[in-house]
Amino acid sequence: MFDLEANVRSWSDHLRRRGNFKEADIIELENHLQDEIDELTKAGLSAEEAFLISVKRMGNVNAISQEFSKVNTENLWKHLMVDADQALSFGTNRKYIALVIVFSFLAGTAMKIPELFGLSINDSATALAYLKNLSFYILPFIAAFFLIKHQSTAKMWASIMGIFALAGILVNLYPSFAPNDTELLTAIHLPLFLWLITGVAYMGLEWKSSRGRMNFIRFTGESVIYGTLIFCGLVVLAMFTQAIFFAIQLDASWFIQNYLIVYGAAATAMITVYLVETKKSVVENFAPILAKIFSPLFLITMLIFLGVMIATGTSPFVEREYLIGFDLMLILVLGLVLYVISARNPYDKNNLFDYMNLALIVTALIIDGVALSAILFRLSAYGITPNKLAALGENLVLLVNLGGLAWLYILFFLKKTDFIKIEKWQTSYLYVYAVWLGIVAFIFPLIFGFN
Amino acid sequence: MNVTKDLIAASAIPFVLAILKQEDSYGYAIIKMVKELTGDELVWSEGMLYPVLHRLEEKNLIESYWQGSETGRKRKYYRIKEEGVAELEMQKKQWEIVHAALSKTWLKFTKHKEEFIYV
Repeated sequence: MFDLEANVRSWSDHLRRRGNFKEADIIELENHLQDEIDELTKAGLSAEEAFLISVKRMGNVNAISQEFSKVNTENLWKHLMVDADQALSFGTNRKYIALVIVFSFLAGTAMKIPELFGLSINDSATALAYLKNLSFYILPFIAAFFLIKHQSTAKMWASIMGIFALAGILVNLYPSFAPNDTELLTAIHLPLFLWLITGVAYMGLEWKSSRGRMNFIRFTGESVIYGTLIFCGLVVLAMFTQAIFFAIQLDASWFIQNYLIVYGAAATAMITVYLVETKKSVVENFAPILAKIFSPLFLITMLIFLGVMIATGTSPFVEREYLIGFDLMLILVLGLVLYVISARNPYDKNNLFDYMNLALIVTALIIDGVALSAILFRLSAYGITPNKLAALGENLVLLVNLGGLAWLYILFFLKKTDFIKIEKWQTSYLYVYAVWLGIVAFIFPLIFGFN
Repeated sequence: MNVTKDLIAASAIPFVLAILKQEDSYGYAIIKMVKELTGDELVWSEGMLYPVLHRLEEKNLIESYWQGSETGRKRKYYRIKEEGVAELEMQKKQWEIVHAALSKTWLKFTKHKEEFIYV
């Protein structure tokens, strides 16, 4: 039996893989195909015949995709008369690869420069100062890559690089006194804050639009996944180098530690960004599947954890370290949820993964609530410290985010709102993150006297 | 007779604007309309129409909105804006110039022929 729906779906998936379409374009084209099929079936054709003829009439997928890719680039009519300039796209690709190589080298060298001033990650006395500056060695290069790619205006360049410079000056002017709590908090929050700034460079002129931001969220998730994979490869290479040189009685570890890993890490970041950005269609097929595999697994783990916690009556939030660990887990859950949302077709009917997403959010909310009560308890029992206040703020920010998502999801299931609203909520909420991260990184040291 | 690709391309914008000026419409209906209007002589490929629509939207000549249809699917409708109507007027004038000029030359051409025949 010919399954029309499955065939239409596989046709539109085929389009999706070309990477030149926005999701709305694909829905539009799919509707068109359906209309054509309906008309042909009405005229007496079987579903299979109608499908085949309609697909044929829509034309070669390559051709459609090429036409679409032109919309965003240049005057359509010029392209219709002159054939698409293949050589140009090949040339620009070469330019990007050259940029990646140069920037990897520069970023790697930037990581080496502090060592000239006696700052080293291997020295426990200066490790924190080195760590605090880690984001300045790599993120400006990533931002520059996107600024070049988008051919951004001088104003854009100035604002983004200005923020980087300002943050760098400010953070390094701040003194730090033992026990260095605020400095550590800055070291943790600054990279995240600057990543959002890099995001503005990534989105270019679209940075205020919901679609641009959703792309950025997706880009972030994919970069994490691919960066991890590439970095694993790097570690294998390092271990291999170590092993073979060890066999001929040569200790290569100084080279590995000082050069291979440093330049390798810089290159990993640049290559990841390049791959995720330019090979979108390859990446997009793979990463959502990962999210779909892991979101049920996380849900099960968290449900069991919650059950055991209630059954045994022990609070896991007595130790501060665990508290931060749980914050990280909530961020991971939020990441998964966001990823499933961003990879979803906003016009789809709700499916199993939407319900699973809601369950994941609600479980995370409950755990977050427990964590919050533990923090409040610690705050009242032991007084305010920068760490606790930061943890409290993070939890509140996450709580509101997850709460909003849960509420909108429920409204969506009750058919009282569109899925787009969920995306809008999430993309607008990025402001809150930027502000909070900025406060912890820049204001906390001032409030707590740089302790 | 097949209309050449260049001519199809050049006439696409006035066609779309003129059709949308009559009433809001969507991709499939626009293609059908053009087919009917030209008696099947001018058949657009889908790969061509949608980029044109999106381009016009980008230029702020038309706008789009999603609406449910009788088939239960959400459909992307396009509506002409004031700027689009103004653009259509301009395009119309240009086409009239070309059309008028060509008509004259063809008229002369046939006259010559007739003279030739009568002589």
